[in-house]
Amino acid sequence: MKLLYRGKVTKTAKYLVVAFVSAILALLIQSAFAQGEYEIAAFLAIALVSIVIVYLTDISIPFKFLLPGMLFLFAFVIGPIVYTLVMSTFQYQTGNYISKDDAISRIQLLGVEADEAGTSFDVVVGRDSAGKVAILASDILTQSYFVANKEVKRDFLSTDITLNSDGIATAAPGFTPILDSERSTLDFEVSSTRFRYSDEYFILMEGSALGVLKRQVLTYQKDKDVFVNLLDGRTFADNGKGNYADVNDPSQILQPGWRSPIWFSHYIDLFTDSEVRKPLIRVFIWTIIFASLTVLTQFSLGLLLALAMNRPIRGRRIYRSIFILPYAMPSIMSILIWGGMFDTEFGAINNLFGTDIAWFQNALFARAAVIIVNLWLGFPYFYLICSGALQAIPTELSEAAAIDGATPRQIFSKITLPLLLQIVAPLLVASFAFNFNNFNLIYLLTGGGPSSPLDGDIAGATDILISYTYKIAFGTNIQNLGLASAISVIIFIIIASISLYGVRKSKVLDTFV
Amino acid sequence: MNKKRFGLTGVVAVIALAFSTLVAPSASAATEIVVWADENRGPNLTKVIEAKGDWVSGYTVKVVTFSSFDALKTAVDNATDLTGPDIIVGANDWVATSAKNGKLAPITLSSAVKKRFTENNFFDLSYQGKLYGVPLDINNVAMIYNENLVKKAPKKLGDMVDYYNANKEKKKLVAGLCIAGGGTSWGAHSVLSALGGSAYRMKNGAVDSVVDPINPKELAKNISKYFLDAKGKSTGFFPASDAGCKDNFLAGKVPFAVIGNWEWKDYVYKGFKMNLMPVPGIKAGTYGQMFGSVSGALLTTYAAKRGVEAGAKDLLVNFFASTEGAIRYQSVELRPPAEKNAQKADLTAAQVGFGKAGSIAGIPQIGAILNGTAGSKSYWDLLPAFWTAVLVDGKDPKSEATKLNGFFKLNIAAGVKDL
Repeated sequence: MKLLYRGKVTKTAKYLVVAFVSAILALLIQSAFAQGEYEIAAFLAIALVSIVIVYLTDISIPFKFLLPGMLFLFAFVIGPIVYTLVMSTFQYQTGNYISKDDAISRIQLLGVEADEAGTSFDVVVGRDSAGKVAILASDILTQSYFVANKEVKRDFLSTDITLNSDGIATAAPGFTPILDSERSTLDFEVSSTRFRYSDEYFILMEGSALGVLKRQVLTYQKDKDVFVNLLDGRTFADNGKGNYADVNDPSQILQPGWRSPIWFSHYIDLFTDSEVRKPLIRVFIWTIIFASLTVLTQFSLGLLLALAMNRPIRGRRIYRSIFILPYAMPSIMSILIWGGMFDTEFGAINNLFGTDIAWFQNALFARAAVIIVNLWLGFPYFYLICSGALQAIPTELSEAAAIDGATPRQIFSKITLPLLLQIVAPLLVASFAFNFNNFNLIYLLTGGGPSSPLDGDIAGATDILISYTYKIAFGTNIQNLGLASAISVIIFIIIASISLYGVRKSKVLDTFV
Repeated sequence: MNKKRFGLTGVVAVIALAFSTLVAPSASAATEIVVWADENRGPNLTKVIEAKGDWVSGYTVKVVTFSSFDALKTAVDNATDLTGPDIIVGANDWVATSAKNGKLAPITLSSAVKKRFTENNFFDLSYQGKLYGVPLDINNVAMIYNENLVKKAPKKLGDMVDYYNANKEKKKLVAGLCIAGGGTSWGAHSVLSALGGSAYRMKNGAVDSVVDPINPKELAKNISKYFLDAKGKSTGFFPASDAGCKDNFLAGKVPFAVIGNWEWKDYVYKGFKMNLMPVPGIKAGTYGQMFGSVSGALLTTYAAKRGVEAGAKDLLVNFFASTEGAIRYQSVELRPPAEKNAQKADLTAAQVGFGKAGSIAGIPQIGAILNGTAGSKSYWDLLPAFWTAVLVDGKDPKSEATKLNGFFKLNIAAGVKDL
């Protein structure tokens, strides 16, 4: 009460909020460190320190307002852009996913082979007389039994050991089976130990009851950074693209590979590799056409309706409500419903018109369908914008023009439209930029198709840059995240340029200068 | 900063640290084997595994259920050493890519365990000669027919076409045969095969990389005869798209449909009998081969990193690959089990029907071939494009079949190296 009385309640609340936010950040820092995400942990630590300094001191009052925005800008705009930029310089695709150290470790683990007979043993895990982890192995077919640890193998006769009803050894002199409660504790040791069998072969455990005879085929030579096949002598060296490749036949590579820096190779591929360049150019052209047509059609219809509704007509309110309906419905639902309506065999549109147009199997019709659906989704926005803008234009101008003898068409083209365009031009540019990246529509309506892979098509007829990038990154079984990142950077540059142009043209920033 | 501010900062820091310590996630115990599954399998696995708690002595099993199969796939793609599971119950076509990405670890099964499955089951879960999991349940399609329209099971593809042509107008049929389950690539392989083509040919349990998978002349002849009219246009018997197939079959507007074994309940609830069979071929007694893939319980590399690899392998053998585990699990999951002894257990008509259809005309689904390779295209993209080309665009079936054969051959040549 005293605190309240003195008017310090806001300060107390501030400290509590800062404490709460700091606690969340501390938690996230801990989690990020634990997961090895050191860059994220470092950013969060900087954010934590900044928040504490800015809000618990009076170093800078403006920063108290700017800091949250700046932190979010870094976290969700600049961070992803930098990450995408970095990833675009890496060989980051299916097969090149993990770090080089992990890849070496995996290749070594996979570089073993079973003996020709596929020999396996029934095994009991335990400890030998020296207390070392060991296995008591039984080969029922050959009736051979032995205890082996990492270094030593000791054979037994069936008469020296205890066998169960299946003929599997369960006890041997100097061998103590482990308890169930010990199994998880010893799991790593049991799984990773190579129990001795002979100079060439060892036994690897497959669970806790089966041992399999294996030998090492691929061995890693750290000093030379190469893998050598011990059987045929082939050498596999780092090919600079994230794989160990046969030095005599570079097409033969070892799996898995790793994320390797390849600098500007993806960007060079965009211009020089016809497999990448050709579909990209086609998709780019269609993206421009799609975004332009969308803006043009949506704006035209919106303006037309706004002009019609700008006059006193009966039932205007009802019409206005109806026009806004497509905007009020979730676009995902609308797109899916339109998708069903355009279906060739069972769709309402073909049924209604008595046609059998394959809307989504024919490139031209699929593109038309995309534009039609986007028109439906977007015209209410421009209708609303144009309605507002028309009301902002002084009626005196058109009245004066009419008195001077101007026709309605002249009034529209010489007075209304230029004034309207002045108001909506930035929105047209923004709409173009939005539709340039209109992933939802393409993905949900056509999936980017149709395409004709039989004729060598890689991209679909309605694929725009962003949906094509998605396909490269996630759309197929062979993902190429590095190349997709490079295309994303190009898209970013284009969108940023368009936006900058729009901002400059509309002089939005002038008020801040 | 003055003393008071230092004090306040200290208080804030203490509160923050205390809070973060209280809610900090504790590392999961190394005695816990973590299994990831989708929204259907997850709850059933939880139920069955909890009912008998000692599948692996010394460990506990935790099943993490994802909201959808796609959510599970996304989680698998994004899994890291710290977040990844020990076992993934997933699709067989994840094997090649996940193994390439270093997410899956190989497992060797004893001959006794191997005998519980067919060799084809292991095709699906292998990559470069190594097995990455154990088969769980069979995913396949089968053809169902509407007994209100068709009284007897068709013996040849021609019987179905004749019925459609004779009743198209009278019964207002919108198609003769359509793909309701599995899409126009996976589900429609049976149709391609019924017409004489295939993604690859099998010989003595191995891929025959010598023989062409498709004889363009023969396939074109059959397509023209059964699916096209005199002008080379589609008769509408077999739509190139799967959209609306299920609804129209259920509404009695399509007499024959290829359905998936995961959706049979929808048909039973609508009163349809499980008269399942493979798609009949050109000649009586021949059938179109359908992909008989298996879902697998896949071992991950994370199990070793978390120190539960031996436990995870035991769970794969003791539960997922065991007769008891398969019977218990499939009694609630209601899919055809991959485990041979469990197949003899008391199963529903649908489980039996799909299993029988698969045994008559099944072909292993080999992701290493079907997924395509650099310089070629995947089977999943090629076959739908083929249907569109010949049934929608009216292109010459022979030239399109020639192209299809060319791509399939490229995929076989590249894929067999990874087997």
